Amino acid sequence: MWDFDVVVIGGGLLGCFAARNLCRRKLHIALLEAREDVCTGISRANTAIVYPGYDHKPGTLKAEMTVRANAGFDALCRELDVPFSRCGSLMVSYGEKADTVLKKKYENGLSMGVPGLRLLSGEEARKMEPVLAEGVTSALYAPTAGTVNPWKLGIAACENAAANGAELCLNTRVLGIRKTAEGYRIETDRETFSCRAVVNCAGLAADRVQELLFPTPVHIAPDAADYLILDRAAANKPTHIVQYEPEDGGKGLSVVPTLEGSLLLGPSERENEVDFAVSEEGLSFVCERAALVLPGLNLQDTIRSFASVRPNPQNVDGSSIGSFVIEHPGPAFWSLIGVKTPGLTCADELGRYVADRLAAELGAEENPAFDPHRTGIRRVRDLPLSQRAALVRENPDYGEILCHCEDVSKAEVLEAIRRGAVSVDGVKRRVGAGMGRCQGSRCERAVMELLAEALGVPVTAVRKDGPGSEILEGSHGKD
Amino acid sequence: MERTELLIIGAGAAGISAACAAWDADCMDVVLTDRLPYPGGILPQCLHEGFGLSAFGKELTGPAYAERLAERLTCTGVRFLPGREVLAVTKERTAVLSGSGGLEEIRFERLILATGSRERTVGSLALAGTRPAGMFTAGQAQEMINLHHWQLGDRIVILGSGDLGMILARRFTLEGKQVLAVLEQEAHFGGLARNYHRCIEAHHIPIRYRCTVREIHGMPRITGVTVEDLDSGERELLPCDTLVTAIGLVPERELIRGLEEAPWLSLAGNCSRVHDLADSAAAEGAKIGGQVGKQLVK
Repeated sequence: MWDFDVVVIGGGLLGCFAARNLCRRKLHIALLEAREDVCTGISRANTAIVYPGYDHKPGTLKAEMTVRANAGFDALCRELDVPFSRCGSLMVSYGEKADTVLKKKYENGLSMGVPGLRLLSGEEARKMEPVLAEGVTSALYAPTAGTVNPWKLGIAACENAAANGAELCLNTRVLGIRKTAEGYRIETDRETFSCRAVVNCAGLAADRVQELLFPTPVHIAPDAADYLILDRAAANKPTHIVQYEPEDGGKGLSVVPTLEGSLLLGPSERENEVDFAVSEEGLSFVCERAALVLPGLNLQDTIRSFASVRPNPQNVDGSSIGSFVIEHPGPAFWSLIGVKTPGLTCADELGRYVADRLAAELGAEENPAFDPHRTGIRRVRDLPLSQRAALVRENPDYGEILCHCEDVSKAEVLEAIRRGAVSVDGVKRRVGAGMGRCQGSRCERAVMELLAEALGVPVTAVRKDGPGSEILEGSHGKD
Repeated sequence: MERTELLIIGAGAAGISAACAAWDADCMDVVLTDRLPYPGGILPQCLHEGFGLSAFGKELTGPAYAERLAERLTCTGVRFLPGREVLAVTKERTAVLSGSGGLEEIRFERLILATGSRERTVGSLALAGTRPAGMFTAGQAQEMINLHHWQLGDRIVILGSGDLGMILARRFTLEGKQVLAVLEQEAHFGGLARNYHRCIEAHHIPIRYRCTVREIHGMPRITGVTVEDLDSGERELLPCDTLVTAIGLVPERELIRGLEEAPWLSLAGNCSRVHDLADSAAAEGAKIGGQVGKQLVK
């Protein structure tokens, strides 16, 4: 017998959604994550755009999935109780050459049935988005583009999978995979799991995880990118996602009005970096591009900068692969390798795709008990005052505000911890404490005390994010 | 809904002084509120001396100064509502307060904002490098050390030589930690001369002028910073386990965004402009409180 029917390796967006969709079948699922929390790798840092789908080659899986995923995104976010803003996007161009590129994308989008696309003149675009630069010559408007908080979506999917019976195994790093007569044995740094099937969603390590048992024709060449975040109070913020298509065909820029009210600018692009470190050149690139497209922005309003890492899939000869790589190297073994943009948009679609095929392979029945609904953490900030007052009467902790920038109460922080946050950043990802303009300098201490109390550890053991990131006492005794 | 003639938001040096002055001007209906559970604002975490020379004629520590202010407050009939976050101020002259006792809506005739300032953070500098544990703002570090007796690190770099940066450099030194350098981008220290003499000079703390931090190193914990000499452009790696930023204060006025011109609104203390001394913030509070109190009595 097996411990589990399916072991999903990797608790990023893809792994969380694979687990969630596998729960639609009568299958016993384990979700393995090497770190102490889910969505702490690629999923925690990216452009946060739900793409409309005009960018991909018609007829490809990527194109089909993106258009379908976009259409279903409101319903998905309703089910998972995750905020989603369909703010629309304007891809703007400067000059004839770039205008032609937009026209191609427009026609591409039309042929795939991307709804509502319109080609606008520079003037029309500025009417819709008055903060756009004078020099913009045309724009492709996509009303269906939107933005979602990537880690909130992933955490929601994980919570929903767990509520439907999936077992989340954190701090569990896969070291080896062996084929057995009945399935697979997965060796980790904690215990060994036997299972009938494996779904490999190990993100930056997905190629190496597959190689533990099967050869892989695909390798990941990570690249890094830099982003800036401007304060919600910044002047001249656009209300649409603004993407810039440069005339010289070089790297553009995306500007996203986030659900938190801040403005996200990026990414720059660099090669072969995996340490999530920001580069000076990358940031200057972002600033330069931003000044071209949205000249009214004041970059002095920056509250944070960060770097992301993307898992570029490459062939063995080093040529890059444009499509999603979905490997099926052995029976009941599936790998998602090097899924980057639009991986956030397609996370649920990809999870469903793999789950459907795996279920067919295993002959798994539908799970009539599957409940797709999850309830998010109640945010006092989003409630009308009367409801907020009622909540405080019910639980006084909702009245005690810890994060002054983002208006987060003690009760919300405690709920984040109850749901699995084990670090200051884990709390931040779940309820936003520390995401605002003071970047946690006023609430971190209170959050640390609540974490220490809830986890039953001294405050010196409280971490920022992961082992070795203890906030106090410097490197004392930890070297 | 509660009503009051005068609402004062923020019970630091400026807010308490404003409340007392308004009361002394015979305004009998004053509400003073603060998010902290005690009066004094930032003062209780300022263990150093240097407060109260002009107000009380002698040099006091922050907590002693706060205590004197609080004593004066208790001699008045000002209603003090501690432990309340003001969620919003509306143009209809209401404020919504949130505390563990519930939500309160207060209607006021006049409002004095005395919300102080907040610190600029390392995030706003958009530095290159990693985002590790071990980075604090000066005020945050001061609160952790002085009010909670937490130990932050052993080898400290402080960016910024304003008063807070210099006072903290001494604090770390007195705690037995090594302050490797106080970095200052200007050619002169930023704070008061008396703080330079008492904190930096007296404790032989290295201060480096025309220098700044360009890059953060280390993950998951900070292991060093790249320091740039702004004149020569030369860069060097300075290993450390803690970075404290004392890079300036920003007046905290988010609550009145869009209401700045309202005739019923006055600002006092650091939310109006950043003062060098708590005494001068208090004096401004007293002046504004007295004026507003008189106008309300008429």
